[in-house]
Amino acid sequence: MANTVNDFTVNIATANGTGSQSANLILLHSMFEMGVPVSGKNLFPSNISGLPTWFIIRASDEGYQAPGDITHIQVVMNKDTWLADVEKAEPGTIIIHNMDVKLPVERDDCIVLGMPMTKMARSINPKLARMIANMYYVGALAETLGIEESAIASAVAQQFKGKERAIELNLQAISEGRDFARENWNCDIGYSVTARNKDPNTFLIEGNEAAALGCIFGGINMLSWYPITPSSSLAESIISWLPKLREAEDGGATCAVIQAEDELAAAGMVVGAGWAGGRGMTCTSGPGISLMSEFIGLAYFAEVPGVIWDVNRVGPSTGLPTRTQQGDLTLLYEASHGDTQHIVLIPGTVDECFEFGWRSFDVAEQFQTLVFGFSDLDLGMNRWVTAGFEYPNQKLDRGKVIRTQEQLDAIENFGRYRDVDGDGIPYRTLPGSGLEPILYRGTGHDEDGVYSEDPEVYAATVARLKRKIEGSRDKLPAPVMREENDKQVGIIYYGSVENTITEIDDILESTTGMKVSTCRVRALPYHSEVERFIAEHDQVVVLEINRDGQLFGILRKELPVEHLSKLHSVAFSDGIPPRARVYAEMILETLSGDTKEVIA
Amino acid sequence: MSMRPIQLNVIDLPKADYTGGPSSLCPGCGHDQISNVIIQAAWENGIAPETIAKMSGIGCSSKTPAYFLGKSHGFNTVHGRMPSVTTGANMVNKDLAFLGVSGDGDTASIGIGQFIHAIRRNLNMVYIIENNGVYGLTKGQYSATVEKGSKKKKGATNENPPIDLCKMAINLGCGFVARSFSGSKKQLTALLRAALSHKGMAVIDVISPCVTFANNDESYRSYNYVKGNEEELHTVDYIPHFTPIEEVEVPEGQFEDISLFDGSTLRLETLGEDHDPGNPVAALAAIHEAEENEKHVTGLLYYDSEMKTADEALGLTDTPLVDLSEDELRPSKAALKELNQSFRA
Repeated sequence: MANTVNDFTVNIATANGTGSQSANLILLHSMFEMGVPVSGKNLFPSNISGLPTWFIIRASDEGYQAPGDITHIQVVMNKDTWLADVEKAEPGTIIIHNMDVKLPVERDDCIVLGMPMTKMARSINPKLARMIANMYYVGALAETLGIEESAIASAVAQQFKGKERAIELNLQAISEGRDFARENWNCDIGYSVTARNKDPNTFLIEGNEAAALGCIFGGINMLSWYPITPSSSLAESIISWLPKLREAEDGGATCAVIQAEDELAAAGMVVGAGWAGGRGMTCTSGPGISLMSEFIGLAYFAEVPGVIWDVNRVGPSTGLPTRTQQGDLTLLYEASHGDTQHIVLIPGTVDECFEFGWRSFDVAEQFQTLVFGFSDLDLGMNRWVTAGFEYPNQKLDRGKVIRTQEQLDAIENFGRYRDVDGDGIPYRTLPGSGLEPILYRGTGHDEDGVYSEDPEVYAATVARLKRKIEGSRDKLPAPVMREENDKQVGIIYYGSVENTITEIDDILESTTGMKVSTCRVRALPYHSEVERFIAEHDQVVVLEINRDGQLFGILRKELPVEHLSKLHSVAFSDGIPPRARVYAEMILETLSGDTKEVIA
Repeated sequence: MSMRPIQLNVIDLPKADYTGGPSSLCPGCGHDQISNVIIQAAWENGIAPETIAKMSGIGCSSKTPAYFLGKSHGFNTVHGRMPSVTTGANMVNKDLAFLGVSGDGDTASIGIGQFIHAIRRNLNMVYIIENNGVYGLTKGQYSATVEKGSKKKKGATNENPPIDLCKMAINLGCGFVARSFSGSKKQLTALLRAALSHKGMAVIDVISPCVTFANNDESYRSYNYVKGNEEELHTVDYIPHFTPIEEVEVPEGQFEDISLFDGSTLRLETLGEDHDPGNPVAALAAIHEAEENEKHVTGLLYYDSEMKTADEALGLTDTPLVDLSEDELRPSKAALKELNQSFRA
């Protein structure tokens, strides 16, 4: 049989809460251990136990990280989705199934491989049979794909850190799975892995954990949070790392952690911490942002620094709580009533989750405003490669804080909201300092912070705020661009689309010969380089994981009108991480002059 | 012409250092009397103004931090959310003395969740509710604390049962729960001075008549009604830690001394029936009884000094977090190297 090396997709259908996540991560890590470029996507339900879950593992020497368009190997374990999983397999798919489920696999056009996984698991440990059964498909895949035993052993050890009994038991099951496959199946299934040179510096980590570590290296003082998928693991990572990384000499904590009563309170605590001069942060998802919006407006208007991470899930409303989307961008950028505009940092990799984790506090204090970190479920809760995080390349930037009488005296005519330097950013003093105390307020105020309803004062205040945020554009992370010499088509994208863009690019080139430039926006308000990129390309597609084209909308509102006719939106979201072919086809359709899709 | 010497407090500051801007509330508003008591209590206690943080939500009461303690930083936040902002500020600067001012709408309706959770955490603050039973700024709608059968100047009699914030605070385990009346300057001053000497959440529910919308005799929170129907649990005297208690004249009747966190004393002199402020059931019974008789019971209802405050419970380092240096806030290069290495292993 022809053999495809390091280029296939495995889909594993299990029920939530059966321990399959450990099995799936062992597979993922063992291939990674061999240097096989691999990515994993967990499609899990909003449920603790029983509902269906799928894990997609893609091996790709090209480095493609999107879920593949075709499933090459389907593992079926879950009786609830069994028939549908079997039915939707393309002809030629390898179907590995647990024979003990006693459901049919009637597919003569597929290669069907059965194993009595539960029965075998029961023979080594009756109590844990349901969980250990998953290790048999690990063994089956290890044998058929040629995953090295040492790689499996290392992945198992990593998964069950230090729990000797668990390691032994699971390794035995995997080994029995291997033996069964070798003795009973034709293991020449046409797909295999071959070891590649693995960069010894690399490891896999979830975006949420990377962001959490970034926050810790950013000097976070106060974490307030309210549990919500998919952001909870960001807060929980901070909590678990704080004792190791941020204990003071007296053994006390240098960051307060409060599980708030709701998202409103969590946001209020961030505002309070920032007002008092600390580095406060909370993390949430779309529904939380909706609830926090009043405080976000207060922070904007009263000019209080703070950080909120939004790990986007599918909206509107409760939506699909365990699926991914970029549906909150507009919400973040303009959150709260009245005219507002907020700084949004948008990581596209786990390295940037770490970097923007610490940088967000500097930006917030520099501009005395609320700063969002914008991630999503795909980036936040799936594991991605990094070669190791880089240490911050600058000292903490505490912004314009007056800490001494001398500093205060140096400013002629001090006022909390007076634009002394002409950059729209005023100076502030802190409670407890005794320096120029004022009553902060969300009501209209003059340059001294005193209540005012004066029309000129109001207009001047909001004009300065606009100038202040406008001034952040080129101080925020610049876009990452790859530009072709022939500037015909440019694609603008952001965030976790990074995981799909290379494949989209390759599909476009291989099917039409089209060579596209790419520009990944990493912050709002967008950098001036984004406008230059648009100006220099004939056609520009804005690619995003939502229905309405939210970045497209922001660009259309803010760009000079002469650029608008070349700007096209390609936006799609169904909850699944973006598949390259879907987007590539939409791009081609849009550019082919299907004017229904083109906004002129 | 003779000049009277300016009176100074124990830290040599004149009372003028504790005043604020002119009030824009209605003339005669109970809230202005409370502002004056706040000025008096902070001055008499000799608290340095810069160490106080004035916190408020939204409403008539929440505007008042502009009218007292002009040398203290403050934050007039959003409606019903003063406790969460105070929590965040308290976490990063535990050395500030937090003085929160709220109203009955701000606390008992929109902010009831945050009120409850601030008590549950034992946030280290004084929480004053300026409680008039109506929404003043929006022109006189009933609030959730108004008594059943009470009637404001215009409109129908209120038929809903009230939310009693003192009952709620006692049930939640708040360590300092008092009720007073804006017209009882002496009692309110002593209670507030004691609250400022307490460590942990101190709730003072102050009946404060709304002269514009609910000062008619049919209102249970009008001046006339409260004056005629106030039942004091005891008379209260505050003896600051800097005044030797031996030098204070011992009352003739029965009394109980409560020792406060900063070494000061609150002396409760028995009036009629004895009230044990350490007994939550007795405190609740006193409130229930007064409620049945359409009276307002005032004084120190409940006291318990044993609880850890929110910041203590978190085991924070001794230095307020806001004063930590870069070295203490950002782990070293070596720590990151080690961290990366641990992930590779």
